[in-house]
Amino acid sequence: MDLLIQLTLNGLFNGAHFALLAMGFALIFGTTGVVHFAYGPVYAVGAYAIWALAALVGLPFWLAVLLGIAFTAALGVGCYLFIYRPFEISGSPPFVVLVASLGLFIVMKNLIGIVFGTGVKTVDSVAYDVHFVGNAFFTTVQLGQVAAALLVGCGIALFLRASRYGKAIRAMADNREMATVIGIDTTRLSILVFALGSAVSAVAGALVLLRDGLNPNMGFGAVFVAFVAVIVGGVGSLRGAVIAAFLLAFVQSLGMWQIPTEWQNTIVFVVLFGFLLARPSGIVRRA
Amino acid sequence: MSKRTLFAALVLSSALTSGAALAADPAVYKIGGIFAMTGASPHYGKVMSAGAQLAVDEINAQGGIDGVKLQLVIEDHKSGSAQAAVAGMNRLIDVEGVKAVLPSFSTVTLATMPIGDQKKVMMINGGGVSAQTVGTSPYMFNIRSMASDLAAGIAHRAAEQGAKKLAQIAIKSEFGDATIAATTKAWEGMGLKMVAAEQFQADAANIDTQVAKLRASQPDAIANWPTTPQAGLAVKRMRELGMKQPVYCMEWTAEDTKVAGKHAEGVEVVTDYFAATDENPWSKRFADAYKAKFGEMPDFYAANYYEGVYVIAELIRRAKAKGGDYYSGERLVQALWENPTFDSVYGKTLTFRKNGVAQKPVAVFRLENGEQTFVKFTSGD
Repeated sequence: MDLLIQLTLNGLFNGAHFALLAMGFALIFGTTGVVHFAYGPVYAVGAYAIWALAALVGLPFWLAVLLGIAFTAALGVGCYLFIYRPFEISGSPPFVVLVASLGLFIVMKNLIGIVFGTGVKTVDSVAYDVHFVGNAFFTTVQLGQVAAALLVGCGIALFLRASRYGKAIRAMADNREMATVIGIDTTRLSILVFALGSAVSAVAGALVLLRDGLNPNMGFGAVFVAFVAVIVGGVGSLRGAVIAAFLLAFVQSLGMWQIPTEWQNTIVFVVLFGFLLARPSGIVRRA
Repeated sequence: MSKRTLFAALVLSSALTSGAALAADPAVYKIGGIFAMTGASPHYGKVMSAGAQLAVDEINAQGGIDGVKLQLVIEDHKSGSAQAAVAGMNRLIDVEGVKAVLPSFSTVTLATMPIGDQKKVMMINGGGVSAQTVGTSPYMFNIRSMASDLAAGIAHRAAEQGAKKLAQIAIKSEFGDATIAATTKAWEGMGLKMVAAEQFQADAANIDTQVAKLRASQPDAIANWPTTPQAGLAVKRMRELGMKQPVYCMEWTAEDTKVAGKHAEGVEVVTDYFAATDENPWSKRFADAYKAKFGEMPDFYAANYYEGVYVIAELIRRAKAKGGDYYSGERLVQALWENPTFDSVYGKTLTFRKNGVAQKPVAVFRLENGEQTFVKFTSGD
């Protein structure tokens, strides 16, 4: 029973991390239609920026996080304006943009290694506690992941429902051509969602920096999880992406209760393939 | 047919078909290195290439081999990609014309070994520990203790410290599988109980599930088999989870200490023993030169690949002294078996055994204040 409780907690905390990543990716992909694979290295660069500000510059961690989030948002906007936007203007088919995003992924990943080195980066200045529930445990950082996922999720939901820009984003996600016809500036909105989505990824990056440390390859797993969560959750649905992110994490964790852990990734995708066969439009079907 | 007899036959047939014409020296002796320069574990590529390059630089500074310089040509296997390794091996042989290659990682060594065998290129592995690299090709040599030796050493150490139940954690790879199998055999061979063997993917950053299952198995000691940096991550997670059992590793680098932080304290590492001492002037010279050039002390991987280059250089010298068309993988291997003993940076000499594995001192180290402190020599016998 102790193991089951521990695995459930692990699923919850990992799900919160996956949800943060999925929300950022879903915002960008669901609104602009750009399969932004470079989201992974953008997330990684954001985390490295936070590390550099905290460990090299010596800023307080909270300030490093704030500046890192702003930097990551700007980096995301840069990706859109300098890489994807020119293809949009020239009317390139989506697969060309997809290839461009893969190229950007590789360039950025390699740049991380060149600029920051290939070693693991950690921050020693932030101590955190370990808490026990019976025999199960969790750390303050993991609690922070859940809190961040809740706050960011509620914030984005509120923004999309209540603000003028949020409503415009929903309109654009629903039908980009129609949004343009009724006078919505889709370029400005694209800039906004790239900024928002990238900023959300930096929140996840800051917490992973504390929990596991950073390495130049961390972006691949992040964008992979985010992409799968968005597809399984139902493209265009933020809520679906979050539900799918937790589903992924719980399957990954609880699935190993009675099965050898070497099957961890395999069982997840067996379940997901089965799910997609049964419900190809994802968890949350859009009207 | 023994490995030596097989090789003698190979050399004889080669001599008969090629004649005894004298060959000119090459413009440069190229030595191939297939290292993890990128991917999940670039630390290994960094130290291995640094050790090998330092040896090349030293030999060249002394005039090379009769005036012909050495050149290290590096291919990146991206931390274990067999595909990248095979492409790199083919390029080293077919484009660069190397006659000797230094592979690293078990998966990579196993993937490239058939190519070396087919194209008659000597291979000296200083990193991978898979027993499958032993005795399958007359061109394959190891200057690193094999997993079976290290696992047995660790099993003995854990038992000697009173453990009755052992749990293991490893990456899902050829190395991980081989190490788990070797440890299980050694541990259960002593009549003791193996209570868990958990594995995860090489690029996994999150191993909470595996560690939770380790903890639930209530072991007396833990054998921690992941490579850098997951070895450090696993220790960090175990300690955070309140697991106070002794942890034994066969791999531990400065990267792992950085990841594990304060939790690294007390971890024991059973591995090839390299220490720069005044009693061994070459080791001191090597360590000083390495630190001056790269800013850190060399680990045993750097020492293995440094030594690997010196072994190859010595073989070229010996083969050349015999005359004829000396610069070939076959002649290098022939020169090795004529005298399998070489000066060693580890101290005194190293001798290749009949299975192609050089006997190395294996020792227990304990992490104290972030440094590996020598505890004792050990043996899996």
